[in-house]
Amino acid sequence: MDVLSGLMQGFSVALTPINLGMCFLGCFLGTVVGVLPGLGPPATIAMLLPLTFKMDPTGAMIMLAGIYYGAKYGGSTTSILLNVPGETSSVVTCLDGYQMARNGRAGAALGISAIASFIAGTVGTVLLMLVAPPLAKLTLAFSAPEYFALMVLGLAMVVLLAGDSLTKALLSMMVGLWIASMGTDLFTATSRFTFGQTELLGGIEFVIVAIGIFAVAEVMANMEPEKPLDMLPVPKGLKNLLPTWQDMKDCKYAFLNGSLVGFFIGILPGAGATISSFLSYGFEKSYSKHPEKFGTGVIEGVAAPEGANNADTAGAMVPLLTLGIPGSGTTAILLAALVLWGFKPGPLFIEESPALFWGLVASMYIGNVVLLILNLPLVALFAQLLKMPGYVMYPLILGVSIIGIYTTDSSIFQLSLLVVFGLVGYAMRKLDFPTAPLVLGLVLGDSMEKALRQSLMMSQGSLSILFRPIPAALLCIAAFLLIVPLIKKFNAARVQMIDGEA
Amino acid sequence: MRFSKIICTLAITALTGVGGLAQAQWKPTKTLEVIVHTAPGGGNDLLARAVAQMLEKEKLLPVRMQVINKPGGNGAVAAAALSEKKGESNVLGFITSVWIANPLTTSEAKVTLHDLTPVANLLREPAVFAVRTDSPYKTLKDFIDAAKAKPGELKQSGGSVTSRDNIIRQTLQTATGAKWAFVSFQGGGERLAALLGGHVDMMVIEPQEAGEQIRAGKLRVLAQIADKPLPGYPNVPTLKQAGFDVVATPQIRAVVAPPGIPKEALAYYEDLFLKLSKTASWKKYVEDYQLEDSYSTGADLGKSITQIEKDMRAQFQVAGMKLVR
Repeated sequence: MDVLSGLMQGFSVALTPINLGMCFLGCFLGTVVGVLPGLGPPATIAMLLPLTFKMDPTGAMIMLAGIYYGAKYGGSTTSILLNVPGETSSVVTCLDGYQMARNGRAGAALGISAIASFIAGTVGTVLLMLVAPPLAKLTLAFSAPEYFALMVLGLAMVVLLAGDSLTKALLSMMVGLWIASMGTDLFTATSRFTFGQTELLGGIEFVIVAIGIFAVAEVMANMEPEKPLDMLPVPKGLKNLLPTWQDMKDCKYAFLNGSLVGFFIGILPGAGATISSFLSYGFEKSYSKHPEKFGTGVIEGVAAPEGANNADTAGAMVPLLTLGIPGSGTTAILLAALVLWGFKPGPLFIEESPALFWGLVASMYIGNVVLLILNLPLVALFAQLLKMPGYVMYPLILGVSIIGIYTTDSSIFQLSLLVVFGLVGYAMRKLDFPTAPLVLGLVLGDSMEKALRQSLMMSQGSLSILFRPIPAALLCIAAFLLIVPLIKKFNAARVQMIDGEA
Repeated sequence: MRFSKIICTLAITALTGVGGLAQAQWKPTKTLEVIVHTAPGGGNDLLARAVAQMLEKEKLLPVRMQVINKPGGNGAVAAAALSEKKGESNVLGFITSVWIANPLTTSEAKVTLHDLTPVANLLREPAVFAVRTDSPYKTLKDFIDAAKAKPGELKQSGGSVTSRDNIIRQTLQTATGAKWAFVSFQGGGERLAALLGGHVDMMVIEPQEAGEQIRAGKLRVLAQIADKPLPGYPNVPTLKQAGFDVVATPQIRAVVAPPGIPKEALAYYEDLFLKLSKTASWKKYVEDYQLEDSYSTGADLGKSITQIEKDMRAQFQVAGMKLVR
């Protein structure tokens, strides 16, 4: 079946009133789940799954997928407003999004994240529709050595997140890598850095570290007596809140970057949306004309990762639907759901269930429009939150953080970890250590270590496995990223010397 | 009226195989909490939620069943949470073989299944040995012979080193003297991608997951780990039929209760899951996921846990892993 007739069939499925309703319901639930920190799409979909047994499977799939990509729209909201990441894939959005809010541009940040999500989500869906089967081959070409090189490339981004001192950034990253190594080792079943605590056997949840270091530390910093508890400026009127035409022009490459990086990382079962958002932020900064402004509230720093985490969901559908391989927690549940409903997810799925596949693709186009319409007016509402005085705002941030973490596994131990990482974040701030490299190390460390050990197990210990074409190319880009700042520094020093001599 | 009630009670008593009127009459009055060791969406969580749905649909339980997620530590956190509910009759836990393996290798996992009360076994998870269709190995013997010829060069993708995939590899290696590598991957998707992409040579995979790949001509199955051939794989030899008479440590899914649960409550739950296992919804679930229906009472579950633990201990020792218990 060619794409056009497939898509026509898809829209005829997705545009029936009931499926349209399911799409809207999924998008709405997704937005809500995204806004709430801690509660994520996998948990929501797992809880709703039993309710779908009696539904029409196509409608149910459209709804569950809506929750999956809808959550990526909502995830940025608390990142921008409160410095509390709503989803793990929105952690990097805190860096510039929250600064934009502090500069009185919360509306623009929220608006651009909805627009970037819309563009990247739509581009991702186009790619899913057009190139899913050939891309399946790329998914399979990627294995441990390729993942290792990809993670090294990600870690090389540390020089971009460094700020003033590369030494401090590297130290901070090392702490992140160390935290990533905690818990039970998959390869030997031994426990590492658990300090005899049963609760640490599973390692430390990324989201707890991120919320502690970003949100709790932020609250503590604002509680200092010399800081006035002032309100943030919020312009009046929806028009003044939304991004300007100039903002859109500034973000044109960010939209493209987010769409492509998000989608291509998304199709890899071993990567994930969090990594795609970090990588696209890194790329955005690396080719930017004003990299030094990143972290102070530049709009591209919001658009790129928010686009990437949305395109990632479309990418993640590729191995799920073309190969029957789930690449993430959420797609694993969607796979289980398809089996429950009597479908056969696997290499023959698209051929045998065209109505579901094309209906889903069509619903993703519709869903992205629904989400844009749903989210833009919400900007005005959410931006008003910042008018709250500090004595309401900061307790609210703490409350949202605590509830977010407690809902996921109702454990007091995890809450005490939140406090610990709040203190760590505060100390780092006081000592002028950048926090982003720690979070980066934590995101990539575990996957990187696993990929390296898997590679070496595959090659019986020979490092040559890391130099086959794809990993070699990725490692070269990583080396390039690391060397460029050194060359720049060297040049700057030489210019200074020449100037001094003249 | 009264007579029929007595008959009824007697019938129930006879059915459940536990004596005494009082025991058959106990019923839970509070919400039944079921602790699982995975986050929402994990394998055991999905099973527990499906069971909750079936119990409601078949009207087998007078109260609601609620799933409580206690993820972390491969079951250690959930086991600890269960043991804290000592003597309570409205809490159960859904376990897998991970709960047996984990305390053997992890000193922090202080609560073992011997500290909890076995209630009922529900399922055994069969598995099949799969290779790519273009692989030169047509039988399990081909693979093992090749592994003998080139020790350590062939690779199997799988989960944790304590998983069933690795235990069966150890068992076969010990029995045949062959050697091949075991590459651990966190997610099931990554394991399958590694096999399909040609990065490893073999994988022990769930029958349902393999089924679609076989139908699409991507995978071939060499042998199955099941007592008798699975309905979906009538022509694939079991390990024994393939010429490897080894004990395949079963992968179980079962129900346990806190320590010191009242006898009548235990009898009630044993009966509840027996009734569940006879419903149409359960049979469909087992068929959809190609599992092995394997109900047994608490006492029998206790015995099989002890046996599985013994097998695992032996295999882990052979593998050179450090045992802490």
